[in-house]
Amino acid sequence: MRISPRARKALFLALLFAALPPLLNRMGVLSPTRSIQLGVAVCTAAAALSLNVLMGYAGQISLGHGAFLGIGAFTSGLLTAKGPQVPFFVGLAAAAVLGGAFAFLLGLPSLRLRGLYLTIATVGFAFMMQESLFKWRTLTGGSAGLELPRPRAGTFSFINNADYLAVILVLLLGICLIDGNMVRSKLGRAWLAIRWDEQVAQSFGIDVARYKLQAFVIAGAFGGVAGAMYGHLIQFVSSTTFGFETFSLLLVIIVVVGGLGSRSGVLLAAITFAFLPRLLTAIKGWDLLIGPVLLLDVVVRHPKGLGAALLERRAERKRKAAGSIVVAPADQSMPKLPSMPRPTGLPARPEVLDGTPLLEVRNVSVRFGGLQALDDVSLTVPKGSIVGLIGPNGAGKTTFFNTVSGLVRPLSGSVHLLGQDITRRPPHERVGMGIGRTFQLIGLAKDLTVRDNFLLAQHLIAGYSTVASMLALPRSARVERELGERADQAIEALGFERFRDTPVASLSHGQQRIVELGCALVTAPDLLLLDEPSAGMSPAASESLAERLRDIRDELGRTVLLIEHNIPLVLDVCDEINVLNFGQLLAHGTTAEIASDPLVLGAYFGEAVPA
Amino acid sequence: MGETIVIGLANGGIYGLLALGIVLVYKGSRTLNFAQGEMGNLGLYIAWVVIEQWHMPWLVGAAVAIVAIAALGGVFERLVVRRMLDAPRLTVTVATIGLLLFITGLELKIWGVSPRILESPIQGLGPKVFNFFIGPTRILSLVALLLAGLALAVFLRRTDFGLGVLAASQDPTATRLMGVPLGRVSSFTWIAAGALGALAALLIEPTIGVFAPGVMTTLFVRALAAALLGGLTSLSGAFAGGLAIGVIESVVGDRFVDATFPGITTVAIMCVIVGVLLVRPQGIFGKVRA
Repeated sequence: MRISPRARKALFLALLFAALPPLLNRMGVLSPTRSIQLGVAVCTAAAALSLNVLMGYAGQISLGHGAFLGIGAFTSGLLTAKGPQVPFFVGLAAAAVLGGAFAFLLGLPSLRLRGLYLTIATVGFAFMMQESLFKWRTLTGGSAGLELPRPRAGTFSFINNADYLAVILVLLLGICLIDGNMVRSKLGRAWLAIRWDEQVAQSFGIDVARYKLQAFVIAGAFGGVAGAMYGHLIQFVSSTTFGFETFSLLLVIIVVVGGLGSRSGVLLAAITFAFLPRLLTAIKGWDLLIGPVLLLDVVVRHPKGLGAALLERRAERKRKAAGSIVVAPADQSMPKLPSMPRPTGLPARPEVLDGTPLLEVRNVSVRFGGLQALDDVSLTVPKGSIVGLIGPNGAGKTTFFNTVSGLVRPLSGSVHLLGQDITRRPPHERVGMGIGRTFQLIGLAKDLTVRDNFLLAQHLIAGYSTVASMLALPRSARVERELGERADQAIEALGFERFRDTPVASLSHGQQRIVELGCALVTAPDLLLLDEPSAGMSPAASESLAERLRDIRDELGRTVLLIEHNIPLVLDVCDEINVLNFGQLLAHGTTAEIASDPLVLGAYFGEAVPA
Repeated sequence: MGETIVIGLANGGIYGLLALGIVLVYKGSRTLNFAQGEMGNLGLYIAWVVIEQWHMPWLVGAAVAIVAIAALGGVFERLVVRRMLDAPRLTVTVATIGLLLFITGLELKIWGVSPRILESPIQGLGPKVFNFFIGPTRILSLVALLLAGLALAVFLRRTDFGLGVLAASQDPTATRLMGVPLGRVSSFTWIAAGALGALAALLIEPTIGVFAPGVMTTLFVRALAAALLGGLTSLSGAFAGGLAIGVIESVVGDRFVDATFPGITTVAIMCVIVGVLLVRPQGIFGKVRA
């Protein structure tokens, strides 16, 4: 059997972690007290990593994570000390299961909440747990507390602090490995896309609710394990051990200071915070003041955390070492778009002849409060055509796109794709059915690299499970390799090799637009909704855009619905044009008909048309 | 039942005062101030020094405390919040947690863990309502809440600067373009929040009896619930929310408290928080924002 270098490194570290503390202890270098201190740092690191899954990756801010630690510690404690007296690892597994289950219960209602409101709900959850379950005397012992035994395997026991330190070090290593596997898989990418923008994530075909819940459950399960590790370390937990003021706030501080989503930063911050009080006891009492001042200093200077600051510095150095920064000429014309074969793994779509209606929207109305955004709009897009959707600002064009892609649900009316009613389908399913789209303000996860975005664009064909993601099973590795090859092909076809590992945000707007189009095409959608593709493009680029749009229709065989303010472009490429005004369909016809329609000219140029 | 409700209203007035501070800071900085309760607690220590150690009248001590904590709010805004204008709002919230820890540390360093007692400003039993004596400080707190609420409302609605504060909470960029000094608006919200925090702490102290480092977090949670009933943005909503939370707490505490389950009042308040969030995230009194 071949062992990958990464697995070999992990195995080596595991052996080292297992052997070192007991050895150092027997040599008299590592005292039992020091072992406990190190153990607290290890457990804090594990807990911080678990919160980092939720906050750093998925962008869901929780101030109540201490509750999951408490649930884990009490679960494992009750099962190993009282009642059935199960072995340590069974208790640990139960802690993970219960932590995950409670996180699911918190996550389910939280799907409706965003930002600060979600944060407040997590505060509420933490206090509820603290005041109810943890203080429930008959169950957890309340403030009198609960004693937790150290693990034991046959005749060998881990009563010695250094021996137990070895156990939790190996557990922390395991959490780190799973964390790394998740980040490198579709799971981590989906979370980062959700963190950037949920609508963008949906347009990549990501089921946002499902991935958010998974983040909650995994964070809760890891939190439960970390709590159990901690409980068996200090061997006593009570209703105040995992209080809001102690653990929950500390963990948030660690994750923010370490840098949201930066594993090494969070690990470093966790160890620093666990040891800071010890380092500062020399200056008695002042640690209480110096700690918070340091925290404030860090957040003011590096609002994105120390981890991000270190990464930026490293990137800066690399850039300096590489010499001058490569800037593409601003008037770069639009490259040929990649012609990708239709990937396997997508649901079968019926082959139909050009000209049959691909998209049919019937009598759709949308209302926002008092504003009638769309009023009884019907529209048909025949397969193999480019259909224009024009109208003055605020006419409802983008709302129409949102209705077709599923971000807005119409008050009445229906949307059909190849005769199938998709009005009630969620956005990510519509992507799978063959509707791709671009956004006015670029629908990419801009904080990720060009290559990551091309991988995200293939989310729907990444056919492996969450468990495969977490454990890096062979299947996920194989699929990831295929996705990577496809992404590289697409990047090469666009001539963007230089920008492969550049964050999208540092590209020019026109370049971002090209990447976005490339991403939309990589899974070969039947219908492409393009929202003002020429906006922000140089004249040279938008001139070649017409040619590229025709390529999409003629060479790639796709159908395009196009919102565009560049009227010469619309008249140049569109087969049919629909005109919206104040939410109503003002006119519909072939390009020639629309170009001479007095109603359209009136709406567009506000002129009284001579009779 | 009558007296339970009266106690609830009086305590609720204090939650309302703290909630006003939370709402002001939220309007000015789009962040939650976790130190709102503890800033008030520090004010109690300052008042204690002035009144009990320097033997000055209660009113002088209260005035010194309010001014000092308002200044603390101003300084924190200037040194931390103002320099984080472009930072993610979560990071600013973490900074307020830093302030909370700093204040707690300061209290522990200077005064230690042992609780202190501050004499209540007015002695005596007070008037009798529903066969129950309402302490004079309870009445004082309700009056103070009404006055503070009214003064704020008049200031915000009737002065140019006040309108600037309200506008800044809706759209900071547009407000800046209209010529409103955003920096001063932000300063004002923090200074006012500091003053309200100190006032609230001074008024609740006679009811709790003692104070010690870190005791204000439970109070903060109640104030947060009150602010949330107003959708975090409505001042009158925070005011009414405070009264509602006070009554809920008092009634639940009176009816259901049981030795095996001491935390039931907190749980009830948390249920209110979570319930409001799920049913009406914009708050009972808040307006829907587009």
